[in-house]
Amino acid sequence: MKITTEELEGGITKVVLDGRLDIEGAAAVDLKMNVLAGSKMLLLLDLQKVTFLGSMGLRTIVVPAQTVHRRGGKVVLFAPTAMVENVLKSSYINNIIPIHHELSAALAALK
Amino acid sequence: MPEKDAHKAEARLTLRSQLAELSRVWPWVDALAAEYNLPGETHFAINLCLEEALSNIIRHGYHGHPDHSITIDFATTGTSLTFTIEDQAPHFMPAESKDAQPAASIEEYRPSGLGLQLMRQFAGTLAWEPLPHGNRLTIGFTVAQAPGK
Repeated sequence: MKITTEELEGGITKVVLDGRLDIEGAAAVDLKMNVLAGSKMLLLLDLQKVTFLGSMGLRTIVVPAQTVHRRGGKVVLFAPTAMVENVLKSSYINNIIPIHHELSAALAALK
Repeated sequence: MPEKDAHKAEARLTLRSQLAELSRVWPWVDALAAEYNLPGETHFAINLCLEEALSNIIRHGYHGHPDHSITIDFATTGTSLTFTIEDQAPHFMPAESKDAQPAASIEEYRPSGLGLQLMRQFAGTLAWEPLPHGNRLTIGFTVAQAPGK
């Protein structure tokens, strides 16, 4: 599991996750995700390259999102594959963190 | 002598009760998916259900004790795929495990109980039965066409 970041206009940090967010993948990126959650206010989590998402991976997304929200920031999820989105919706994540498939809509949701 | 028109195959994977052992499940499932030409959605669902089931056994059934074993048997008949997981952990009562509920806000969301909930969503069938010294979990999937080599 790889994680890279890119600073966009408007104070938005794009976080690209690449690989399987299984137990092993979640452990590999948890620290970086928590650091981002503690230091950034607007996170766009790019899930295009996430090929698998399990319950431990869900925690990797939700817990930092809760941290950002507590700090007054926002998180959006961008472009998950159909199966990954199915996991997100089965876990009701879409009720608490918006999912967008258009970049413009994802960026607008962070403003 | 196998039935003439029934395609059957079996395979077994034995794991130690350590989360690191889960890395052995992926290549096993990948090989089965390739061998039986499984659809991508089924492949994903199998990986999801096995990861959730096995991690629950290791973390909650064996409470992290690393020297127990878990066996996974795979079988296919017609359009049905079956994974049978056996452990020697204390009896598991799935009815006592509640699914996560929709949260009104992000602060109220509790990411617990998700594994079982995901298994219920992604598996075709789930059946637990107590063994004299452990548990048997049977996870079934159905594919549109009989998986072929």
